[in-house]
Amino acid sequence: MALEVIKNFNDENQCWIIKPTGELDIYTSPNFKEILNEIIEEKRADITIDGEKLEYIDSTGLGVLISALKKLKENEHNIKIINIKANIKKLFNITGLNKVFIIKE
Amino acid sequence: MSEKLKIYDNDNIKISIPNKPEFVGVVRLTTSAISNRLGFNIEEIDDIKVAVAEACTIILESQLTNTNIDIEYILNDNEMTIFVRSEISEQDNEQLAEKGLGLFIIKSLMNEVEMKDDSGIKELKMIKRIEDVAQ
Repeated sequence: MALEVIKNFNDENQCWIIKPTGELDIYTSPNFKEILNEIIEEKRADITIDGEKLEYIDSTGLGVLISALKKLKENEHNIKIINIKANIKKLFNITGLNKVFIIKE
Repeated sequence: MSEKLKIYDNDNIKISIPNKPEFVGVVRLTTSAISNRLGFNIEEIDDIKVAVAEACTIILESQLTNTNIDIEYILNDNEMTIFVRSEISEQDNEQLAEKGLGLFIIKSLMNEVEMKDDSGIKELKMIKRIEDVAQ
């Protein structure tokens, strides 16, 4: 399964809303990294990742999120992750990344 | 308790994938199907799937190998042992030491994890046990 990404800038909250659909793994994460780099380049703002349709994430996908967060932190911005499935939440928990990102149910 | 007849007794399944990231998804599907066959619950199936995919990812991320990645599943009634093997050059080996996150995930999800280097072959051995079966 491939990964599709919908990106929108929310003027009201001044943040990017990113909605990935599918699997974020070693095959799809280079493309996802490119998308995140593009939007950060276009406008530095907080990013909300809506994980409602994200089925899977691996260490390379987590790595992409970590490097994006590093960039955003330079300007005191953040990444919020919402609506993630239990299997993905488990990975954030065991890696301790649940304390690095803002995770909302 | 009378001794139960064994259904699976070191039965094995082998698959071999090209050293290309698009095939890790195939490994995930295969791993889920085999784990389901053995009777693991949904959460355990997911743990095994993630661990085996991470093992393939560790090898793929080293990028220098052109040989296939071999995955072997050994099935017993209360546990599954999985070997992920590939040929690795010396340079790859040094790079592999840096792939900390993937290995950390594998160690968190599986009951036993062992990494071996033997004459240029990198081997990751993982064991997952079915927890609700009396030992």
